[in-house]
Amino acid sequence: MNTFPMFDRRSFLNRFGLGLGGIALNEMLAKASSPADHGVLGGTHFAPKAKRIIYLFMSGGPSHLDLFDYKPLLNQRNGEQLPDSVRGGQRLTGMSGNQSSIPMVGSPFKFTQHGHAGGWFSELLPHTASIADDICVARSMFTESINHGPGVTFFQTGSQIAGRPSFGSWLSYGLGAENANLPSFTVLITKGKGGQPLGSHLWGSGFLPTKHQGVLFRAAKDPVLYLGNPAGVSADSRRLMLDRLKELHEHQFAGTPDAEIQNRIDHYEMAFRMQTSIPEVTDLSDEPQHVLDSYGPDVKTPGTFAANCLQARRLAEKGVRFIQLYHQDWDHHGGLPGALPKLCKETDQPAAALVKDLKQRGMLDDTLVVWGGEFGRTAYCQGKISTNFGRDHHPRCFSAWFAGSGIKAGSVYGETDDFGYNTVKDGLHIHDFHATLMHLLGIDHERLTYKFQGRRYRLTDVHGKLVKGIIA
Amino acid sequence: MIGHNNDRKGHAGPTLVFVMRLLFLFLTTSSLALPPDHAQRMARGLKLFDSEVAALLKENCLKCHGGEKVKSDFDMATREDLLRGGSHGSVVVPFDSKSSSLVAQINHAKEPHMPDSSPKLPEAVISKIAAWIDDGTPYSAPLIAGKKPKKDSSVVTEEDRQWWAFRPLKKVQAKSIDELLLKNAKGMSFAPKAENEVLVRRLHLDLTGLPPDQTDQTDQTDLSDLTDRLLTSPAYGERWARHWLDVARYAESTGFEQDYDRPFAFHYRDFVIKALNSDMPYDQFVKWQLAGDEYEPQNPLALAATGFLGAGVFPSQITANEVESSRYDAMDDMLGTTASGMLGLTLSCARCHDHKFDPLPTRDYYAMLSTFTTTTRMNVDVHPDGKVTSAVTTMNAKKNTPAVQGATRMMICAEGYDPIVMHTQGGPFFDKTYVLKRGNPLMKDGEATQGFLQVLSKPGDAKRWQWQPPAGSKSTGKRRSLSNWITDVDGGAGALLARVIVNRLWQHHFGTGLVPTPNDFGKTGTPCTQPELLDWLAAKLIENGWKLKPMHKLILSSRAWQQSSDRDAKKEAADPANGLFMRFVPYRLEAEAIRDSMLAVSGVLDPTMHGPGTRDENSKRRSIYFNIKRSQLIGSMVAFDQPEPLVSQGARPTTTVAPQALILMNSPQARQWAEGLAKRVSGAGDAAKQIAMTYRLCFHREPKPAELATGLDFLKNGASLADYCQVVMSLNEFVYVN
Repeated sequence: MNTFPMFDRRSFLNRFGLGLGGIALNEMLAKASSPADHGVLGGTHFAPKAKRIIYLFMSGGPSHLDLFDYKPLLNQRNGEQLPDSVRGGQRLTGMSGNQSSIPMVGSPFKFTQHGHAGGWFSELLPHTASIADDICVARSMFTESINHGPGVTFFQTGSQIAGRPSFGSWLSYGLGAENANLPSFTVLITKGKGGQPLGSHLWGSGFLPTKHQGVLFRAAKDPVLYLGNPAGVSADSRRLMLDRLKELHEHQFAGTPDAEIQNRIDHYEMAFRMQTSIPEVTDLSDEPQHVLDSYGPDVKTPGTFAANCLQARRLAEKGVRFIQLYHQDWDHHGGLPGALPKLCKETDQPAAALVKDLKQRGMLDDTLVVWGGEFGRTAYCQGKISTNFGRDHHPRCFSAWFAGSGIKAGSVYGETDDFGYNTVKDGLHIHDFHATLMHLLGIDHERLTYKFQGRRYRLTDVHGKLVKGIIA
Repeated sequence: MIGHNNDRKGHAGPTLVFVMRLLFLFLTTSSLALPPDHAQRMARGLKLFDSEVAALLKENCLKCHGGEKVKSDFDMATREDLLRGGSHGSVVVPFDSKSSSLVAQINHAKEPHMPDSSPKLPEAVISKIAAWIDDGTPYSAPLIAGKKPKKDSSVVTEEDRQWWAFRPLKKVQAKSIDELLLKNAKGMSFAPKAENEVLVRRLHLDLTGLPPDQTDQTDQTDLSDLTDRLLTSPAYGERWARHWLDVARYAESTGFEQDYDRPFAFHYRDFVIKALNSDMPYDQFVKWQLAGDEYEPQNPLALAATGFLGAGVFPSQITANEVESSRYDAMDDMLGTTASGMLGLTLSCARCHDHKFDPLPTRDYYAMLSTFTTTTRMNVDVHPDGKVTSAVTTMNAKKNTPAVQGATRMMICAEGYDPIVMHTQGGPFFDKTYVLKRGNPLMKDGEATQGFLQVLSKPGDAKRWQWQPPAGSKSTGKRRSLSNWITDVDGGAGALLARVIVNRLWQHHFGTGLVPTPNDFGKTGTPCTQPELLDWLAAKLIENGWKLKPMHKLILSSRAWQQSSDRDAKKEAADPANGLFMRFVPYRLEAEAIRDSMLAVSGVLDPTMHGPGTRDENSKRRSIYFNIKRSQLIGSMVAFDQPEPLVSQGARPTTTVAPQALILMNSPQARQWAEGLAKRVSGAGDAAKQIAMTYRLCFHREPKPAELATGLDFLKNGASLADYCQVVMSLNEFVYVN
């Protein structure tokens, strides 16, 4: 059904084909035939396991060796040089590249096994350990990036060089929005964290149309820019203005039946609805006390990771497709034994509470939760060994966890060597990570493409394979 | 080239062809000398091939290397492919089995052992293959009957030069744009000429990005005079500079995680505005952006122009392992932007492999890349007496003032001054640029020496473009040499340079280019809809001394541009993409022009030009003066599709999304501007007169009766004049050029 009166597909194309020269015809047709925004795919490639993703990004590179990847050998040989055979001639990465001595350093934290699969969890993650049977811990993630900017960009866009569309933009482009009252891709950043800054390219739409970019919810009164009426304008007079605006647009439409006018009328209405829907979704006053308690004491403070996790659940409930959280400051080059517990305290309980909360509501059946950073940290210490040691960036292996529909719950995937330095089994590259998550959403990653500057691009570039081992 | 030609023409006997071809391969791929007894050895090798080796290769190797698969891009089916090697480089060195990786691999002396997943070949087989290699690896026929060698994409052929964009400009006899368009119009004719009041608004918005002011509130305006007047208005440069800044991926910060400010980078933006306003010839505009410091080392405008090369992103935290790769990234950014922005070529594709579609070999890429070997970002002080000195080198420099009074501190991208230093464990550049295999700095393949794209270079002495800097000069002259080639219409890239810029002019006048993909004139771009017109316009540009203003005048005076935008269902059906230009399709204004128009109609626009920008959305200056920090782009600009300045952008998308509506309805600025407009029209008289003036200021037309009635009704029911003005400024018509 064509929802534009007096307006056929061809003239729509005609109007839109200009200025958007790079968009392939079939993509235009898909858009023209689905103005309600079912995305360019008009549906999934195959039956999806999940409808949405909540991605808890731990920016800075959390130490796998102190959280999920238990390596008693490092404690036994604490202070000894990392054997050359382990490095296998690989160059040292990062800031420790010029160190003459690279002593191994064991984790000062206790590890215990949890869940059916017997996965190891550090004492810093008691809450995550309690959901061991709901998650799959992958210990064999690897990347090529050894620095934050390219590393985070790689995870978010499939390329180390900024400028490609982000994961959430691809989903918005491919699948469209579930809820017409809310943006399909939202971003929440823990407020006031130091560490490596995050750029808007991480949730940018690259060369995809800008409507697919992530909308950053700010930890402020207006989570979206200009959500509130300006001073001196009441909601009633705003409604009156919109009615008049619509009337004038309709006068114009009668004279020149232009889809763009209809489009703009729709978006004014959407904006008006967002003025209500976003405050609704961000207002936590209707949450029962026991739910608030489950996320921990921080949940009452807007902009904390706990508050954002709860917010994420609420956005997921409303059908937001991709909810991206960032928590910064995992970059522990020094002072790791003091800093890591603090970071875990901020994130462990809320992340686990989110999974439990979703599960309790039956939403884990169609929602994916992902936890992870851009790389891991070295088995040897950065600088001189001391009780307040640090670890350098380490791209060869690190840990992440997955929960939700289609994920092999209560499992551990991949192995690293006894030094936690190299992956020895089931390496999981970023491109494979993307391909697999897309698969769970019902998308064949090779078939969601966009032609730009003469080439068809996709999130996984020319790579990516399905990782069956993490799929139920 | 001799061998190659002989091969093509097939005049010489087979042996001679063979030897010549070998010679050619040696000349192009290595510096090995041919053994003196090569002819005898080749003859012996050929016998061995026919009697045994061909069968051995077919049995043990061909399946994965040319038969069912071509693993590691290594194909043995023909001798040419064998000698070209694979993705890991050379596999066979003729006459030298000891240096041939193939022999080492089948001997299990080198990994991966071959044949893969099979037992080692018997010694007798290995020694036969080695003997055949020592005899020059001759083939009597391909291992697969009839198989032709893959085209060597590192060689540019005559056929490659025949792609329309690489040919010399066609001499087109025509008197006007209209004549050429009508010739191709398939029997259609132009739409009726638009009303004068429509054209006055269209002209203003097109050339200045601002709506007509009150002085043009008459139907009697002479369009030709108005065009001249607007072309001399400073607002012209401010509007059209913004188009170029998209191409130049211009921003004032480093990007990446730290995203440090480049507080002295805005001089480049001012250069573009000044160059356009003074109608600087486009070839000079290009030359200065590539090598302004080598043309006029003491001219602040020429120095500032080099900001083009330095406007891209660069990481601020570089560990030892990344120093080299990030330097190649930085040079790639300079070259890639030059190629796509000035020549409409996706040359960066050739960084890791010969371009898959266009005749742009990797060796051409690195020859071009070496132009920028010693070029880096640097801050300099230009003293009033023309002396130039190095200024602050810390990347996060605040606005510390030059030591010399009256000096201007600017960021340039050149050679010979102190480079800006990042948090790096290496130097700012390397003395040499190497050809890299697969773009990998760990796989160097000889030093790259400066050269230009073969496909855009007429055969002849390449030295004709080379510029030798005078003794004591601070720079190598390489960038000026590049600029000589890129602007050379007869022997270099000048024709394409002209085509690309006239296409950009057309695009911004009509909403779409004659080539709809302005940054890609190659095979993967969208074909030119009006090739004759494009070449005619390019020739006109060159004839006019590369001046852009006469080109604007020519286009704006055409009947084609002055067509009405009223819809015509028949034409839309016959030519949906409007490649025939037999109608005018309305297009949405860009973010900057929307905001500038709102400021203008509200009467508060601050016309102050040039200088440092701001990120304060309350600023009343034109939007081109927003400071562009990559991590903190201006929300209202991004919402209206201002691109992220990461790579060169030839055309912006046009989206209509809810956040735009929120900005127009709820931003304090939009409200203030509505109040400003209300104040302006409040003195016009009664409500009907106020409404009429609002329409004249916003749309340069009188309200229609229904529109007037809606307005009157709205005001009568208690709405404030500001509410009404905000509604009118939120109309689709406000942001469209009709």
